[in-house]
Amino acid sequence: MNNKLMNGKAYWRSLDQLAETEEFKQFLYREFPENASELNNPLSRRKFLTLMGASIGLAGLAGCRRPVEKIIPYVVAPENIIPGIPNYYATTMPFGLNSYGLVAESHEGRPTKLEGNEKHPSTRGKASAMIQAQILGLYDPDRGQMVTHDGKTSNWTEFVTAWRSQLSGFEQNGGEGLMVISESFASPSLAALRSEFLKKFPKAEWLAFEPVSDENILNGLKKVFGSDVRPLYEMEKAKVIFALDSDFALTETESIIATRGFAAGRRMNSEQDEMNRLYVVENTYTTTGTLADHRLRLPFKRIPAFLVALTKKLQAKGLQVSLNSAIDGINSSAFDEKWLEALAGDLLKNRGASLLLAGHRQEPFVHALTAAINTALGNDGKTVHYKPLSDALLPDMAAFSSAVRQMQERKVKALALLGVNPVYAAPADLNFGEALKSVEFTVQLGLYPDETGSVTRWYVPQAHFLESWADARSADGTVSFVQPMIEPLLGGKSNLEMAQALISGEDKTGYEILRGYWQSKWSALTFESEWRRGLHDGLVSGSALPDYEVKVQSEAVAELGGSFKPKASELSKTNLELVFQVDPAVFDGRFGNNGWLQEMPDPVTKIAWDNVLIISPRTAGELNLANEELVRLSVSGLDMVAPVWVVPGQADYSLTLALGYGRRGVGRIADGVGFDAYRLRRSDALWSTEGVTLARTGETYKLASTQDHGSMEGRPLAREAGLEHYREHPHFAPEMVEHPPLKNLWKEHTYDEGYQWGMTIDLNSCTGCNACLVACQSENNISIVGKEQVSRGREMHWIRLDRYFSGDPDDPEVIFQPVACQQCENAPCEQVCPVAATVHDAEGLNVMAYNRCIGTRYCSNNCPYKVRRFNFFNNTKDYPELIKMAQNPDVTVRARGVMEKCTYCTQRINEARIRSQNENRQIYDGEVVAACQQTCPAEAIVFGNLLDPESAVSKAKRNNRNYSMLGELNLRTRTTFMARIRNPHPDLAA
Amino acid sequence: MSVTLTKSKPGALEEVPLIKGNQTFRSITEKISEITERKTALTWVLLFSLAASVALLFFAQIGYLFWEGIGIWGLQNPVGWGWAIVNFVFWVGIGHAGTLISAVLFLFRQKWRTSINRFAEAMTIFAVIVALVFPGIHVGRVWVAYFMFPLPNQMQMWPNFRSPLLWDIFAVGTYFTVSLMFWYTGLIPDLATLRDRAKTRLRKITMGILALGWRGGNKQWKHYEMAYLLLAGLSTPLVLSVHSVVSTDFATSIIPGWHTTIFPPYFVAGAIFSGFAMVLTLAIIARKAYGLENIITIQHFEKMNKIIMVTGMMVGYAYGMEFFIAWYSGNEYEKFAFINRAFGPYAWAYWIMITCNVLIPQLYWSKKMRTSVPVMFTISIFVNIGMWFERFVITVTSLANDYLPSSWDYYSPTIFDIGLLIGSFGLFFSLFLLFIRFLPMISMAEVKGVLPQADPHHYEGEAHHG
Repeated sequence: MNNKLMNGKAYWRSLDQLAETEEFKQFLYREFPENASELNNPLSRRKFLTLMGASIGLAGLAGCRRPVEKIIPYVVAPENIIPGIPNYYATTMPFGLNSYGLVAESHEGRPTKLEGNEKHPSTRGKASAMIQAQILGLYDPDRGQMVTHDGKTSNWTEFVTAWRSQLSGFEQNGGEGLMVISESFASPSLAALRSEFLKKFPKAEWLAFEPVSDENILNGLKKVFGSDVRPLYEMEKAKVIFALDSDFALTETESIIATRGFAAGRRMNSEQDEMNRLYVVENTYTTTGTLADHRLRLPFKRIPAFLVALTKKLQAKGLQVSLNSAIDGINSSAFDEKWLEALAGDLLKNRGASLLLAGHRQEPFVHALTAAINTALGNDGKTVHYKPLSDALLPDMAAFSSAVRQMQERKVKALALLGVNPVYAAPADLNFGEALKSVEFTVQLGLYPDETGSVTRWYVPQAHFLESWADARSADGTVSFVQPMIEPLLGGKSNLEMAQALISGEDKTGYEILRGYWQSKWSALTFESEWRRGLHDGLVSGSALPDYEVKVQSEAVAELGGSFKPKASELSKTNLELVFQVDPAVFDGRFGNNGWLQEMPDPVTKIAWDNVLIISPRTAGELNLANEELVRLSVSGLDMVAPVWVVPGQADYSLTLALGYGRRGVGRIADGVGFDAYRLRRSDALWSTEGVTLARTGETYKLASTQDHGSMEGRPLAREAGLEHYREHPHFAPEMVEHPPLKNLWKEHTYDEGYQWGMTIDLNSCTGCNACLVACQSENNISIVGKEQVSRGREMHWIRLDRYFSGDPDDPEVIFQPVACQQCENAPCEQVCPVAATVHDAEGLNVMAYNRCIGTRYCSNNCPYKVRRFNFFNNTKDYPELIKMAQNPDVTVRARGVMEKCTYCTQRINEARIRSQNENRQIYDGEVVAACQQTCPAEAIVFGNLLDPESAVSKAKRNNRNYSMLGELNLRTRTTFMARIRNPHPDLAA
Repeated sequence: MSVTLTKSKPGALEEVPLIKGNQTFRSITEKISEITERKTALTWVLLFSLAASVALLFFAQIGYLFWEGIGIWGLQNPVGWGWAIVNFVFWVGIGHAGTLISAVLFLFRQKWRTSINRFAEAMTIFAVIVALVFPGIHVGRVWVAYFMFPLPNQMQMWPNFRSPLLWDIFAVGTYFTVSLMFWYTGLIPDLATLRDRAKTRLRKITMGILALGWRGGNKQWKHYEMAYLLLAGLSTPLVLSVHSVVSTDFATSIIPGWHTTIFPPYFVAGAIFSGFAMVLTLAIIARKAYGLENIITIQHFEKMNKIIMVTGMMVGYAYGMEFFIAWYSGNEYEKFAFINRAFGPYAWAYWIMITCNVLIPQLYWSKKMRTSVPVMFTISIFVNIGMWFERFVITVTSLANDYLPSSWDYYSPTIFDIGLLIGSFGLFFSLFLLFIRFLPMISMAEVKGVLPQADPHHYEGEAHHG
């Protein structure tokens, strides 16, 4: 194994090591850096920043002196703050054209947890793993801390002054040579600023760059409807769903709502309920693929052809869809005829209650055709809605490419990059880094002094969305407000503030700009109350846009189809295709420095901390490749290395690699993790490319996988059945294991008074998306341990998502099972602890007394579910001060040598108990919500009091799918599972 | 009237003398005391330096372990116990032979034990000392390890008496105390001999204190022998109980491969098996080094080899029975656990264990093998390796692949796991070398008791033809 490549990340422990280096010691002993001029050198400056970062952690390292920390009492207590009682504020996370309404939990002015906002149409109280992890992003000490100019420390005022001197020139020439590249956005206030900018500088440009976006979808729909609209799905109304390369449950936009709707359409309260049926065509196993009742693996390049074949099939069955007759080469016989027949039949049978979705990677033609079929099936206004895009700046790769050309031609004099990182993420053939050198005045506003920020003349730290004022439109057009939870910790500026400064050289606060904008929109009479209500709710109710009345321009579809020419070449082991994929953890790379997301295992591969080259078992066999082998990928003169990982269910001769890794100079977490797939990405082949060759390097690269064994070994752990079987045997799940009567030798505790907590997890809903895992991590202060420790099997997550493959090893089915502490009434862990550190409480919880635990690990050995997590090292001791602020004050931070595990969020139970006792009442059903349950977009987790027969959890436990995993051990688990039901088409059921 | 008494009745088999070479009381005293009195041999110094250095390494690693945390070992989820616990069970097992030889064989009047019992008891003490280090250091927070003891405290918090780990504390603690007392009691008459022979003042005082005023009077012998008998009686159940209790660490759990009722007898047999092998290893070296061939004879070795063979087969039976029960129980998890042991990722360890513990001792069917010193030395080493692997197989394979395949993982040791095992031998041998240098390694008083001269009916000159 190559040690250099192994790159064992020790996370915050690395501060220790950092503190040991010679430079750091020198830095410590020099009161003033000897040679201040060395800071001019960007390399030294970087070092300096690194050292500054490490000095944050120094307080704990200086053993001989007591750290001096000033404490300031609340002489005059701020209103609304009761120490120890958190406040909740609504805010919004803008994310490209989308936005997610959130509620932030704030302890004494310090946000510690994010949840979805019940009122917000894009979250409905739920959240995703990426959203949950934003709290850690806020407190990331590696974020940019100061304005820099040519590598020298500067400040905001100096930047504004410098800009003003540029500004006068642009004011005279109408902005010729002035260019702004930002992220795409849908924000009324920012859109207004952009209009003002373009009005003032008519010759200037302001365009959006997004390495990952819905541009294809928007382009396709624009062609077919003649207007800028975006789709909004009502999954719950669809009986048959066909996802064409669309990972709607995780990596597509609006995945939270899609997951929620999909799960709702599958919920089986009894065997008589109806459930939807999902067909998926994709090249790599995605979470959506795992949910499919029928999944067809196809190479990426054949996916559009499949849609054409389907269209022809539908036409043959009488559906009116216009399709250019020029597409002759494709007919249904190229694909699984039975499969197509079943799908087409199902779609036609469920007109108005079916849904086709295509993924953002598919070319516009596919989206146009998908929309045309949806319309023809009468799904518009039922399962799919189209919303106009208002106040938005759309992503536009073509415009970006031409912008880069202009830069190369030295036509751009000043370039402002707002929150984008094109040096890293732009297609490799554009060579943005070189083009940037031709621009005189460059500035990046960015969260990190990243690949781009370190080469622009100016770098301005960006405020995190939890530190800034802004607004955003969600997918349905609802206006929501971004409220800061805290002053910018590291002195960043928001997009609004930067844009204002760019336009007028004015230094206005985000609050002034935002409030000013809405004052101009709303009548002065009602402004104050509307503003307050908007901030309170997080959104302006009733601001959703009406559906766009669609009318398919069939000629346009036909015309698009005419340009569709599938390549005739066959894929083989010498002609492989490489497909890029959005990473479920770091997205396009922007969350690379987020430890929670990096340590979160990929839902399907279960690899944490790296991206891998996914390859099918058969292709790997033909090429004689094994897991962890490093290979060199070359295509069109570009090349890179990546480690191989064999994943069943991958299409043969199709390779998949996630974007967003292999970052440099960003921070302690992101740097050197994984491999930079952008190096192979070309502007004419953004998502897939053919003719890739693989060459062995002879080296291996250690990967950290959290689950090595993918088979259930025939054990009845995650239970499932087909719908037919379920209807015939409604009790199949609890009856799957035959066992003698479960008797105890002695009298058991009855647990028949007070509250008795219990949980059910519906495997029929779970998508394996990891939202619960990160939510739990955030709520319960779970430390991350770094790649090296994960590869040793020492990850700390309290809830994990077991992923099992079954069936054909080349094309298996997948089932996920979230496993946390099962809270056994007869807990095997309790009996063996020599010091009684883990015991049962009166409410049936298996509780841990951390300060009693001596760390024998006997409990973990005797746990049949292996859900206990041991602190092998002092993972939390060297946390930087900033990271400490992300911790939940209601939960103990565990030290080295103690065992920890899921507590059913006992702190939340206690909070509810105190509240109910103060109000002299019982705890309501639904008042205690576990963190995993609260965030689960599929609403798979139900928690509550088992003694209340009317509680949601009691009802769920009465469901005939309910079973206790390893129930035959008579552990009497409080967490039970509800078996998964698959709904195969009778003609395709094996 | 005087009647001529003959020692053997007609038809009785001629007894092979336990001690060879026409030893007298004096020659025994000379031979054994002299070892502790002569100038320190260079070989001993070299060996001791080596052992002490390794022991030092052992403590240095423990220091590092306390500083950094358990993470320096290869442990993980699901394998929460690794080499430290394997070493603990291994060393406790080694100890068993000493108690068996000194107590059980004493009660059964097996006189041949006298030549090796001191030796074996010392080994017991040292093995238990080494063993006790491991549960102490393997906890995550050593600074609160005392929570395991039932100490009165202001929280009125008692340890959990249902936990087998707590039983371990009592069982091994009792075992250590009783073994130490038994060993020391046995040493008293010999210490008095050393005191009487002492030439220097320091030695006179030290040995005088240690001998506790022993004079060898009739009354003292009477009380002494009663005390010795009682202690032997007290130790005997401990031979069975200690490893039975240690086995409950595994047997009371619910992990397939651990949860079996055969463990207590199986562990005891295994312990005796490994203990005898260790006694044999040590005795062969000491016998050669100090020229004790007449006192520790081939006959002693042969008897020990027979015990090794018997216990080895008991262990082999247990291995087979585990498989049978796993199949017979119809429990899928149980079945998998055993198939996985033999054919899974740790099959190499399993087959090392089978080879060393079951196959190799079969050589002892041949008397030639039983009585060949090089052969038995080799076999004793193999048995010790095999028994270490037995504990490894039980501890690690069961944990690594238990109920949920999702949590299965492969455990591999780090340099610190390996270092601690090597270091534990350093500590053991340091203690043992000190023992053979400064204390009589063979019980003079008891060996004298089995000489023909000790027989009240013995007549000088009749011993060898009566």
